[in-house]
Amino acid sequence: MNKISDEIVNVNSLKFKKGELVKEIEELCGENLFGCYQCGTCSAGCPFIEDMDLSPDEVIRYVILDKKEVLNSKTIWLCAACYTCAERCPRDINITKIMEALRQIILRKNIDRTNLTNISKDEKESIPQLAFVCLFRKNVG
Amino acid sequence: MPLKSYNKKIDHDLGVPLQDDYFYDDPEEIIENKSMPELESTARLVTERSRRGEKRVINGDVLIVGAGISGMQAALDVADKGYKVVIIDKTSTIGGAMVKLDKTFPTNDCSICTAAPKMVELSRHPNIKLITYAGINSLDGKPGNFKANIWRKSKYVDPDKCTGCDDCVEVCPVEVANPFDEKLSIRKAIYIEFPQAVPIVYTIDYENCNGCGACDRVCEPEAISFLEKSEEIEVNVGSVIVATGFEVFEPLEMRKEYGYGKYENVITAMQFERILSSFGPTDGKVRRPSDGNKPKTIGWIQCVGSRSEQLGFPYCSRVCCMYATKEASIAKEANPDIDITIYYMDIRAYGKDFQQYYDHAKDLGVKYIRGRPASVYENTDKSLTIRYKDTLTGKVEESTVDLLVLSTAIMPNQGNKKLGEVLGIEVDENGFFKQDSLLTDPIQSTREGIFLAGCIQGPKDIPDSVSMASGAAAKAVAPIKDRERLIGKEFPPERDVSNEKPRIGVFVCHCGKNIASYLDVEKVTEEAKKLPNVEYADHMMFVCSEDSCNKIKETAQEKGLNRIIVAACSPRTHGGLFQDTLMEAGLNKYLFEMANIRNHCSWVHSDDWDAATKKAVDLVRSSVAKARYLESLSEEEFSIYPKSLIIGGGVSGMKAALALADMGIKSIILENEPKLGGRLRYLHSMFPSDTKSEDIINPLIKNVTKNKLITVMTDSELEKLEGYIGNYKGEVKQKGNKREIEFGTIIVATGFKEIDLDDKYQYGKNRNIMSQTELETKLKNNDLKEPKNIVIINCAGAMDEERPYCCRVGCGVSIKNAKLIAQKYPKSKIYLLYRDMRVFGKEEEEYYADVLKNYHVTTIRHPGDRKPEVILDKKDPKNGPITIKVYDDILNEEMTLPADLLVLTVNTEGGAKTEKLKNMLKVPVDAAGFFIETHAKIKPLDFSTSGVYMCGAAHYPKNLVDSIAQAEGAASRAAIPIAQEKMKGEGIISEVIEDKCRGCGTCELACAYSAIDLVPHSRDPGRLVAKVNRALCKGCGSCAAACLNSAIEQKGYDSNQINVMIAALLEKEVTA
Repeated sequence: MNKISDEIVNVNSLKFKKGELVKEIEELCGENLFGCYQCGTCSAGCPFIEDMDLSPDEVIRYVILDKKEVLNSKTIWLCAACYTCAERCPRDINITKIMEALRQIILRKNIDRTNLTNISKDEKESIPQLAFVCLFRKNVG
Repeated sequence: MPLKSYNKKIDHDLGVPLQDDYFYDDPEEIIENKSMPELESTARLVTERSRRGEKRVINGDVLIVGAGISGMQAALDVADKGYKVVIIDKTSTIGGAMVKLDKTFPTNDCSICTAAPKMVELSRHPNIKLITYAGINSLDGKPGNFKANIWRKSKYVDPDKCTGCDDCVEVCPVEVANPFDEKLSIRKAIYIEFPQAVPIVYTIDYENCNGCGACDRVCEPEAISFLEKSEEIEVNVGSVIVATGFEVFEPLEMRKEYGYGKYENVITAMQFERILSSFGPTDGKVRRPSDGNKPKTIGWIQCVGSRSEQLGFPYCSRVCCMYATKEASIAKEANPDIDITIYYMDIRAYGKDFQQYYDHAKDLGVKYIRGRPASVYENTDKSLTIRYKDTLTGKVEESTVDLLVLSTAIMPNQGNKKLGEVLGIEVDENGFFKQDSLLTDPIQSTREGIFLAGCIQGPKDIPDSVSMASGAAAKAVAPIKDRERLIGKEFPPERDVSNEKPRIGVFVCHCGKNIASYLDVEKVTEEAKKLPNVEYADHMMFVCSEDSCNKIKETAQEKGLNRIIVAACSPRTHGGLFQDTLMEAGLNKYLFEMANIRNHCSWVHSDDWDAATKKAVDLVRSSVAKARYLESLSEEEFSIYPKSLIIGGGVSGMKAALALADMGIKSIILENEPKLGGRLRYLHSMFPSDTKSEDIINPLIKNVTKNKLITVMTDSELEKLEGYIGNYKGEVKQKGNKREIEFGTIIVATGFKEIDLDDKYQYGKNRNIMSQTELETKLKNNDLKEPKNIVIINCAGAMDEERPYCCRVGCGVSIKNAKLIAQKYPKSKIYLLYRDMRVFGKEEEEYYADVLKNYHVTTIRHPGDRKPEVILDKKDPKNGPITIKVYDDILNEEMTLPADLLVLTVNTEGGAKTEKLKNMLKVPVDAAGFFIETHAKIKPLDFSTSGVYMCGAAHYPKNLVDSIAQAEGAASRAAIPIAQEKMKGEGIISEVIEDKCRGCGTCELACAYSAIDLVPHSRDPGRLVAKVNRALCKGCGSCAAACLNSAIEQKGYDSNQINVMIAALLEKEVTA
């Protein structure tokens, strides 16, 4: 069962400095993903869970298991960086930072998840301003 | 004396200022009361002492701080050895947290019913001085010579006068949230904690009392004394045991997302215990707080405040999985219509029979969902919506419950730091008390002479606390072992009454208003006087009070009474007290009979005065009928050979021997193998502190060998055993030679072994597949080739149909070994396949998290019914690579893992010699080959056969910390008979009528205490007859009931005695 349908980057073409995805992520965000107990608190509390293809705990699991297709997941772009997950995580893992690290890997390849020109006029008018701010914030790291 | 309308007069007038003579109908009543002899009043003594500037000094041997189940067990263990104990508790009663619980897992035994007898035993023990409502202010000195200052707060009620009648509570106008019921109910400013409190003395809550004096005005024995002052007591002892227990985490500041304190129907598990309790706020009915309605759905959230690196504590609270399972099962059993779900991360059903208990809960219909809820919202009907992710289906869902229970963590007492400063001992980073060394001395605190017991060292369940408490008792005795010992009470010589005709005295109790308000005690007394052989009958306010007991004694001597009947409450609680009174009067204690007119008449027939009175008259008549046939019974006294035999020379056995030696008691260690050390000889290091196993066993072996009180016999096996407690003779085979040994008590410490996997997981077919023990031996001998991919499979041969139990130690071992491999070969990739991660002990959860984080061990959770599949290489099955197929529960997909090293965490079973030992010792063993203890909760170290004890993994696999605590505990238990030097058996025992006995052996099988043997008939040696061992018989009567030929009579309850009682109840007097 493949939960991820998009392909914005060919994951097999990516080379990581330390060999494994998880090591790269850990270096980028400073969080230790292996401390995760897979309890699901982050996912249950996430305000955007309905639209995510992978839930936040699955993102961590994918990274630990070195499943690089996680980089093509919608989830990392849907994350609103609200820190609810980080606030509640019993293992004190800052999941928001992990999401940011995953985005950074893509962004540093100069690939943008969202192409501004592809957003229709209707959407531009209906999407809250804050969402755009977040989107661009992601872009500048 | 009060009339029957007495009760009603109180009822209509709660809290209103009353006249002094309000309750008395005529002046004679008042005169009678005023003429009551003045009792020695503690209040007066205290006040006088404080005026003179003196303080009370108590000299004892051991001080115990905290009188919960651990403190009580430690106190009894020390006191039973003859040393004097001073035990204090900060509340006004003893019992601690255990008495708040409804039932206990995994046996569903009623908690108060198992704790109360210990409480009564403690309060009556001649060697124990109990000081409640007290704390410790300072502790100076050194082991053997400590001086403690105890601050005893005034209860403003004189304990010598208070009878526990409850009149004061009814009139008290102040209402406060009741801490005993976890604030679910209210209590008054004058209160007792709970009905079975010991001592049954009311306490005025100084903070909340408004000083109206209503209680003082209604108190008949004039026990209220507002002038009583708190006092400082100096206690001189040789050692100290700290057992102040724990607090329960309240998620008010942290973990607010669950809404505790904000939503009415979110409660803690401790509050739910009170709801389930028969003497709790809802009388045991499952009700929710907001509207008192029965909830249709209940949810439990696990790990609230525990296993949390933020907003809580990092450790595992150890008991929550099982108490939630217990609470859910009990609620479900009583109300099958309630829908119950438990939300968890790992179910830690690690102990003896725990996994089976968990499986049983699932069978009952309790649902378990793996997922930690993120938030809780309240709906308009006060129900609660929980948002969670079911991590096994991957779906984020919401469910609505009427009542939500939070399984909150055991946390250290907030006062621990201060107490630590007073006692001069350290606390750890979480606030629990620090042990000297977790793996070698968990009971020793950081200061010599001060010992730890129970949850103050870390969360623990009841049996582990009790074992540790016994261990603390053993260690506390060491510094004072040479002090004088006092065993039992002194009584005057017994009068021989065998040739006297029965002269019966009957004493009827009012029990305040408990009996007198519901039946006519005067009539009962008058009717008793009319019965033949009754020389004297009287009624008293409280027969159990000290002055009444003195009166019984005087009357018995004055009137030459030779049988005593007390018509009051239950012999279970009060029988012993009155039997002591008989002995003080020079009568044999078996010349006593009790008629329970409180429970059987006034309680159950509280609405029918005449019927209750008639039944009481009948019960007394029947007791009198029996009393005519009561005989003096003798108790077999036998001496104890002052030496213990310890079977098994592993860490448990050696620790037990050393603990015995510290108490000055000799022991023999029997070990099968040529060397001491047991299983640890084959292991590399220990979980969770990574101490090398040599560093643990080598110093122990050295200490054991050089100790003159310990005889070590290696290469030895017990071949034959005869005798009973105190007088055992054994034949030991040592390298072909046979030796006779003598000993008084036996400790079984035979450990456990890994099961035979029978080719499962391709074990034995490939040389890179090995058990954890084999891996450790390889690591120890530096014999392991660098592996690239390592797969560890936990629960091999565990928790399946064949062996439904959890091995308790496997998870910890697997994590420790994963770390060892990762340290040695940092490039290797390690996969750990598990079902539930059960790391529950002190520092274990932290170790687990640390290994995951620092060594990047990948854990894969798989379902119990889809075991990992091991596939061997077709070309080279013996040496080739291995492939493991496993279904990942979390991602819901099958994974294929290549491995060049497969380690199996193999399930365990009882040691190899169990079967032989079981038959020799005549003790029971469970299906897995582990020995069965007397009581899973409060007697985990004793066998039901007196004189035989167990410790370590012979009881159930356990880690080193628990094994050592148990070993020292078993030493304490085994030292009790030896310290007493002589023991007395029961007086009420079975007796075989040899001529009627056909030697069929039915009784031998029925006896739970191995007290019956078949022996040749004394006059006709050709035929076998049953013989009762007077030392072992406990008088349960099972054999008498089982005997097909009525050849066994139980003394004190023989057929004739029972027949005349029945006849008397049917009002037909018969003479047999």
